[in-house]
Amino acid sequence: MTGPTPDGMRGQPPERRRATAWAWPSDGGGRAGGSYAPGLTAAVPAGQGPAMPDLAAGRLYRAVSGVDGEARPMADAERAELHDPLAEVFFRHGRFPMSSRELLAGLDGAGAVPEQSVFLVSESGQLPPPAAPGLHRDIRYAITRAERGRIPDLLISTGANSDPDTTFLQVAAWDAQAGHFNYYMRIRPAWVWTGDSWSALAPASRGHGCFDSHVNGSVVMKELKQPWIHWQSMAATIRLAPDDPLRGDPLYGQVAGAEQLETTVKALVGRWTDARLAKVTAGGTVDRPDHLLRQLFTSTTVNLTSTSVQSATVRADGDDLVLPIGFWLNGDALLDDLGLPVASAPPRVPAALYLGSLSRFGFRMQERTSGFSQPGDTFFAFLVPEAAREDNDVVHRMVLAGIVPAKFAAAALMVDFPNPVYSTDRARLMAYVPTAPTPAAALADSVADAITTAARGLPQDSPEARFAEHWALADDAWPTAFAARVDTYLGRAAARTGTPEGFDDLTRLAESRRRDFRSRKLNEFELTLPVTDIPADAPRLRMNEDATVTTTAPAPVTQGATP
Amino acid sequence: MSTLDAYGPPGRLTDLDDVGLKAWNVFLSDSVDGAVKGPDPAKVRNDSPRPQFYNLTRAQTASDATEATVTWAAFPRRIKLDSLSDAQRWQRADASRDVQDEYCEWSVTRDDAGRIIRVTFTCEGPEYWDVLAQTSPETALRLYQQHVSPQVRKADLFGLDGRYQRRNRWNDSTTQGAMHLIQPSNTLGAEIELAAAATIRRVIDGQELVTAQELIACSKYGVAERHSDPHIGEVVNTVARQAADLSLTDPVGLYFNGLSTEGWLTPDSSDPQSYWRYVRGEQNHPVRAVYEVPADRHFTVSDITIGGKPIRFGAQIADFITIKLSAVACRIGDSTVQPQTACVELVPATAGPATSAFAASAFSPYGYVGAGSAEAAATTRRA
Repeated sequence: MTGPTPDGMRGQPPERRRATAWAWPSDGGGRAGGSYAPGLTAAVPAGQGPAMPDLAAGRLYRAVSGVDGEARPMADAERAELHDPLAEVFFRHGRFPMSSRELLAGLDGAGAVPEQSVFLVSESGQLPPPAAPGLHRDIRYAITRAERGRIPDLLISTGANSDPDTTFLQVAAWDAQAGHFNYYMRIRPAWVWTGDSWSALAPASRGHGCFDSHVNGSVVMKELKQPWIHWQSMAATIRLAPDDPLRGDPLYGQVAGAEQLETTVKALVGRWTDARLAKVTAGGTVDRPDHLLRQLFTSTTVNLTSTSVQSATVRADGDDLVLPIGFWLNGDALLDDLGLPVASAPPRVPAALYLGSLSRFGFRMQERTSGFSQPGDTFFAFLVPEAAREDNDVVHRMVLAGIVPAKFAAAALMVDFPNPVYSTDRARLMAYVPTAPTPAAALADSVADAITTAARGLPQDSPEARFAEHWALADDAWPTAFAARVDTYLGRAAARTGTPEGFDDLTRLAESRRRDFRSRKLNEFELTLPVTDIPADAPRLRMNEDATVTTTAPAPVTQGATP
Repeated sequence: MSTLDAYGPPGRLTDLDDVGLKAWNVFLSDSVDGAVKGPDPAKVRNDSPRPQFYNLTRAQTASDATEATVTWAAFPRRIKLDSLSDAQRWQRADASRDVQDEYCEWSVTRDDAGRIIRVTFTCEGPEYWDVLAQTSPETALRLYQQHVSPQVRKADLFGLDGRYQRRNRWNDSTTQGAMHLIQPSNTLGAEIELAAAATIRRVIDGQELVTAQELIACSKYGVAERHSDPHIGEVVNTVARQAADLSLTDPVGLYFNGLSTEGWLTPDSSDPQSYWRYVRGEQNHPVRAVYEVPADRHFTVSDITIGGKPIRFGAQIADFITIKLSAVACRIGDSTVQPQTACVELVPATAGPATSAFAASAFSPYGYVGAGSAEAAATTRRA
């Protein structure tokens, strides 16, 4: 993959996020070399994004990547369909704020969505400024605006340590009337509507433009859970030089902890999921079952998780590390949502083994764009991708709404459960999911029947046979049966984790999963992940139920693809 | 420029009489003085004195004063780290007040069917109740009867020697009521000690420590696995590094910062926030909160869902509560205090029992005996 260039901007200012990771081939980041495409990157890969002719001031354009070849002014009828706060406060009245300050002041002036919260994020935010004086720190604000006592309707993303007039300014705005988010960005001297939540699901635009990150149409906070790595939170403060001008920014004085944004984002994801499910199952028929069930059988996207331990404070004789649960299995779905009565404790890793792995595998934080390199792991230790909240939320709410039974979801997720992300085995089951409208009441049975029928002619260890075995369990037996397997697995994992060979395997497995993540557009910044000496072309790895780690097939590419 | 006349009670509560108010001021002032002085260097190295911390009643707060609020989550982080699932951690956190260590404790009231009808949360430090119970025992009894149960009797609260029992049958469980904090680390003394100790800057091997976990590991001022202690220490130290003097804001205390109900849904679509009430403490300084649905709504707390899941534990509500404290900084840029260049070291004891940094001596000027020495050992310092 070659990094995107500003070609698609065609003379427009590069008001885009500085996605440094996109500037390099997806080689895992572990080796020197690669062809760097200099300059700021566009939010849309070259050749996929709409062209941006000279935009006229005071106009709202439409430019949906993968759909529109070129930005064009929105027609009056199209604009009339927009009922989010940004459209109603500004665009409907011919107002086009050119900076975040103007935007926030305009909302204040109109008394619209008055409750404001400000958050701060930077992948380089924990690096000591004196140690990296030349590093462009890419600090961003996430600003939410809500009606009093309600969850936010506007989410604003903009550069914090850049010129507010020229840095990127992007908005996700909830349209309560339509029940979806509208996505906008300012391209001076105008604003551009880049699609809505449904654009993320439509084959032509899926995975393109802003939907490379908003993969399923909802808002995104990659590092959603404690310790909210990269975010300012109660777990860590983004480090600024004493004379950093950001300290004087009024918005900086309002920054709240990411723990607050976690609850907000979870609620916003849930709101969109509910609206989406209501629409696609109206009348008792599921329009595109594959669009829903790919969020069960595949990793349409991921979140990032880590231990809560600052890597630099780990001492060989210190406390054991509790690796993130999402590394071992999809605990959010299997344990929290589906309620498997698991009794195990999270496996722990001796600190000395973790420390040894850092030197043995050459862990470092590295940004080739600037030439920065520093030995060691990410600020919080052991960062890995985990199953995405937005995938789990769809599954959870499908179960709650009775679209599929809990056993169906569990039977699917228990296939290859030690690999909570990028599982080729689970992804294979997508072949049995209908793409045509299907009665909701028959959906689970039709998919299960197709899989169990296929399983009869396949080996016992095939994903189909494993699903069929799960599906055959009695309704009152599957929770304890699955929980027993998880407990056995975690017991074995705890034992292997305590050995040097076992932990080296985990380190390689974690890097294998990080490499899969690097190939996704969600990986915007080089400093999101650590770099190791593990070769970029090392075989992909998988965890087995006996807690051994072996090689596996290439990861399924699901983002942007429509089965 | 101003000096505080006297420390006020937490939340500006109005329970104390004149004697109680004076005793409270003495307790607070002595606690702050003790925290400024720090531990005996013969027993603890590199942790005293703390000259950037000051007593609001003894030193002036300069005109450049600015306040900082520190907030953290009420759900106990240590339980979260040790649990595999939400159900596990909620069950564990609801099982004992001893694990509710983020300066917030709660008690759950259920109906005969096991449905939650009320969850009571408190962040009142136990020291205040020591003073109240000793100076105004009838008031203490009345408040227990008002907030916990009309069945509370004086004999339930006081021992045979007349001393107030912080842990009594109406305040030692997660089901029988929660009048004030009792978890050993949840004390105002701990808050004061932590804030004072965190004003010490640490430059180790030429590098100034700035992160929450580096600082608490070196300064040993609290429990590293909590949400609260490392975060409070980090924020305080950030201010101290600006060469400022610092103190906890009057009224010194721990307060509810708020409850977020994002993602909550009630059966009748009523506002889930409307069932959260503060019942003690002034506005902006609430120390007691109740989550309860009025009977005329015809549903219970357990009928409310969070993210689609019904509330089965008080801990699910605690997930959405934040606690706060406030500090004041002044003389910013003026401090000439030099950083410590070593971490805190505990000198092995040679003989005799260790002394407590926060014994009940604060009450002695008024002839009151506070809590027993074990209860008064209020620091959270780890050996």
